[in-house]
Amino acid sequence: MRSVPKLPSELPLPVQATDFRSRLRGPQVAARVGIWLGVCFGTAFVTGVWSHYAQSTPEWLTMPTRPVNLYRVTQGLHVVAGSVAVPLLLVKLWSVYPRLFLPVPLRPSRATVVQVIERLSIGVLVAAGIFQLATGLMNSSQWYPWAFSFRGTHFAVAWIAIGALLVHIAVKLPVIRRSIAGPVEVDEPPSGRPGGAPLSRRALLRSTWLAAGLAALATAGASVPLLRDVSVFAVRTGSGPQGVPINRTAATAGVGAEMVGAAWRLELVNGSRTMTLSRSDLEAMPQHEESLPIACVEGWSAGATWTGVRVRDLLALVGADPSDGADVTVTSLQQRYSFGVSTLPANFAADDKTLLALGLNGEDLVLDHGYPARIIAPNRPGVLQTKWVTRMAVST
Amino acid sequence: MRAQSPLRLVLGVSGVAAGLYGVWSLRAVEWADWPSLLAYLVGGVVLHDVVLAPVVVGIGVLAARLAPAAWRAPMVVGLVVWGGLTVMAVPVLGRFGALSDNPTLLDRSYVASWAVGTVLVVLAVAAAGVLRARRVAK
Repeated sequence: MRSVPKLPSELPLPVQATDFRSRLRGPQVAARVGIWLGVCFGTAFVTGVWSHYAQSTPEWLTMPTRPVNLYRVTQGLHVVAGSVAVPLLLVKLWSVYPRLFLPVPLRPSRATVVQVIERLSIGVLVAAGIFQLATGLMNSSQWYPWAFSFRGTHFAVAWIAIGALLVHIAVKLPVIRRSIAGPVEVDEPPSGRPGGAPLSRRALLRSTWLAAGLAALATAGASVPLLRDVSVFAVRTGSGPQGVPINRTAATAGVGAEMVGAAWRLELVNGSRTMTLSRSDLEAMPQHEESLPIACVEGWSAGATWTGVRVRDLLALVGADPSDGADVTVTSLQQRYSFGVSTLPANFAADDKTLLALGLNGEDLVLDHGYPARIIAPNRPGVLQTKWVTRMAVST
Repeated sequence: MRAQSPLRLVLGVSGVAAGLYGVWSLRAVEWADWPSLLAYLVGGVVLHDVVLAPVVVGIGVLAARLAPAAWRAPMVVGLVVWGGLTVMAVPVLGRFGALSDNPTLLDRSYVASWAVGTVLVVLAVAAAGVLRARRVAK
């Protein structure tokens, strides 16, 4: 009978934490980079939850229609915060990497339990954090090499990431306080000797801030027009037909020219009252001009001047007054992809700035911008600015 | 320590609550999509811990052995800036999301900008290295 091998007191690891010699690693760098990483994650979380609710607004929430550029700012911030977090996270993980190889006690004890829980919470934080940054930046460039739905999953994992971050801060608070209150350089200054540290912690931190600042400059131009020429890694230049980029083309959405010819009609529905209007009927109505941005979930945005008919004027034709609080269901001709049917909440439908636009920057809309008619409303995600509108129905 | 406890407790409890809400929100993920989701959740950690981090450690070990002492500080600065921005820019550099019918998407010369940036970083590191080596020689 073979004897049961005795369990070692620690998990044997090929590498030990003490094998890492750089004195630059450690809490002085980790805490300082961690604070800014926390600011980025917090910003991305708040703006992200906001964006999620802007896209599908729960019953208990009414999104405001002012300021008109609010979503443009929050979603621009969301993507820039995620971009800036990449160099910060890399330095942060580098600064604590040896801790991955700390001894793992195998004998059951209170210390073992505590360590296993702490390691699991760090594992969840790192997995969720990397997941959010990776899928977010990939989505920003419209690259989706996965099976799951992006928005719902990015939203759920955001809560896991922010939850794990709060737990991590709770666990590490004494270390964070001690590191921040203490000096950055706690031991010998860098020496030129082989084997010595090549630079000071301060210099490493400054390099990290430089990388983070450049990451912001390299991406922010997707929403900040002034930075367009500087932002070499922004997903768009901001140019496009009629001066505005296109998110989804008519061809991709399955809208052909034959569907929007002279036979196209807009159907207005309010209970049993209906009305159909041709494009020339719409052109004969009072036209209004509004400066409103297209601001997409991918973080890019562009300001433009739109002309068209006020949605509330159209609803009045079928005897509806959106001030009464009824939402409007907007149906597009689009055959493929999501948001072919969108809900225009009552306060947006009632707003003077909300148009069924017929023109863009002084010309008739081109097909890719939603000809014959599209919705443009203040402070709304681009996916809800429904193009190729064919029907608007008041909820009853 | 004692004075910090209420704050830590609030942070910890709200963190667990937020995390649980996130896990609960994942119920919307279809069964068929879970392998893909798990691959992304685990894949990111593995890619960092098993591939990227060891490569960076290896670069550090090599630089400590081979690079002149005066060059090592500029090389670290260069690696932090170049590496951080390169990893961030992977989706646009590969133009994986580009659509043939939509020229307004990913409409910049990303690789050319990255190449120029790389050359600038190399030149800056070299210039700093030469200057520091001269200063040490004096």
